[in-house]
Amino acid sequence: MTESRTFTDMEQIICATSRLMEEDRLYFVAIAGPPLVAVLLAKRLRTPEIAYVVEDGTIAPSVQLPAPPFLIAASAASYRAVAWTSMNTVSFHAALGYIDYGVLAAVQVDEYGNFNSTFVGPQYERPARRFGGPGGANEIASLCWRTILMTRQQGRKFVRKLDFMSSPGFLDGSPGARERAGLPADTGPWRVVTEMAVFDFDDESHRMRLRAIAPWVTVDDVLAEMEFEPLIAPSLETISLPTDEELAALRAEVDPSGRTIRGRWITVEEEDGHVRLVQQDAPTDGA
Amino acid sequence: MNVLAAGAGVFKPPDPDGLRRHVRDNKERRLVSKVMSEREAVERFVHDGDYLVYDCNTWVRGPSSLLREVIRQRRRDLWIGAKFTAHDATLLVAAGCVSRIDVGWMEAGRVIQEAMCNEQLQLVEWSNGALTYRLLAGALGVPFLPLRYLGGTDVFRASGAKLVDDPYTGQPICVVPALNPDVALLHVHQADEFGNARIFGAGIAPVEAAMASRRVILSTEEIIPSEAIRRQPQRTSIPYYMVDAVVHAPFGCYPGSMPGLYGADVAHLMEFGGAQAQGTMDQYLDKWVHSVSSHEEMLEQRVGTNKLDELRAQETIREGYYE
Repeated sequence: MTESRTFTDMEQIICATSRLMEEDRLYFVAIAGPPLVAVLLAKRLRTPEIAYVVEDGTIAPSVQLPAPPFLIAASAASYRAVAWTSMNTVSFHAALGYIDYGVLAAVQVDEYGNFNSTFVGPQYERPARRFGGPGGANEIASLCWRTILMTRQQGRKFVRKLDFMSSPGFLDGSPGARERAGLPADTGPWRVVTEMAVFDFDDESHRMRLRAIAPWVTVDDVLAEMEFEPLIAPSLETISLPTDEELAALRAEVDPSGRTIRGRWITVEEEDGHVRLVQQDAPTDGA
Repeated sequence: MNVLAAGAGVFKPPDPDGLRRHVRDNKERRLVSKVMSEREAVERFVHDGDYLVYDCNTWVRGPSSLLREVIRQRRRDLWIGAKFTAHDATLLVAAGCVSRIDVGWMEAGRVIQEAMCNEQLQLVEWSNGALTYRLLAGALGVPFLPLRYLGGTDVFRASGAKLVDDPYTGQPICVVPALNPDVALLHVHQADEFGNARIFGAGIAPVEAAMASRRVILSTEEIIPSEAIRRQPQRTSIPYYMVDAVVHAPFGCYPGSMPGLYGADVAHLMEFGGAQAQGTMDQYLDKWVHSVSSHEEMLEQRVGTNKLDELRAQETIREGYYE
């Protein structure tokens, strides 16, 4: 039986990320956008007992769903938290080692998991496009034990050299590079999730390694959307498609306004376990 | 202390003794009323060339009415600390008030980008955490503090941070300079006439900002009797002696939300976004700032009571704030 399924690239990224969430762990999540939506989806469907902090100082909220259209500006976002503290307080908790995972979005990422959220273009003073800055990403990527990055799979995003390194991955990749820069020991990027792939990092070289691919793409499709060549795991996993349950929860409850989940539409057909791409929109200019 | 690496970014030089002398000579220790109009507060306490910090942002609990007054009085050459700010920085830049921004995170669109390219605006890179941590150092009265991030990144290189040998462990550690702003603008839920203030909900760094800054202007949704403060002292976020001015400003963070009281005016935020994208910020500023003489007049003539009622009704959560 043939079944077709349509979703956005961002919905695929969010669903794949939410499945990485580990029950009973503590997360530090970017206060809005894909990371928050991924964590809310995970809490809603799979791992209800994960708790998270956001940088305004809210600790372990129980967000009211369906989320209002502009969640970041609504008190629904911090509803029934265990504590309302300050930005410094939650950073201290991360510095003490309480936060297992940071979840962040990146504009550009390099092969060592360093990433950019500041600007793109040849010159800092005259940016082709200026973004908001690291926000809390620098401290989250430095202080949490593991960092999960979310971004779209595009050559201009997986770059040999970042236009600007806003937040640290493994820096130059050499052993102890983070510690030499004053960051806490044993920390660093853990996964990078795109609509086409999931990457991890080689323990020795700290280089990014392809670990899983979406069922409608090949390894070459992924490599064609990267400036640098990643390592490739000996056996690649297949990323599941977004389920009906996930898409319903995303569209009706977690992000009913569609602000975060909107993106490039992808349609696939599934038949006897085989997944075939039917059509997809061209990449957008969005960040 | 051996300096291993230093960022090239300009920073306001720490001066803890300068701050102490300012406090000694200028801060009112008596319980006197500091209630005044927004116009008087900004005239007296915000000056051209000031380093200005505010807490929260256009979306939530930001001091939007005070920022509009700063624009109305055409302050110039401000250096602002943009920790987790939203459209606030853009608005101040569009109005020509700002020449330098310490960046944590800000809404960055056409206005900021054009001001940079025209060399009217200089950015210095930090992060949200680094800026609030610098305010903490400022609030502690020390010249710097160590922290375990920034290092190794371009943010470090573009900031005023330094990497040093920790004299205790011998390990490399970043240090950042204390930030003592000239003036802080804070919007609060309740304050008495002396400036004892209550903020409900999560915050960014209102207490650090009040402690670290030379001058502090509060706008408040409500002025409550000082007796009420003394009956529940645990709820006081900021004590009176840090505060220079108390401005009564219901809906003071409009178009943002005030947790427990009213929701954000999303349509207004869209209007702002549209004005930026279309390059019509001058018209936006004229409509919402320059063509009205005060916050009160803006609410009456530009927002209207129906909209205000709607925004009040939009906020359904009082639990944790007032209950």
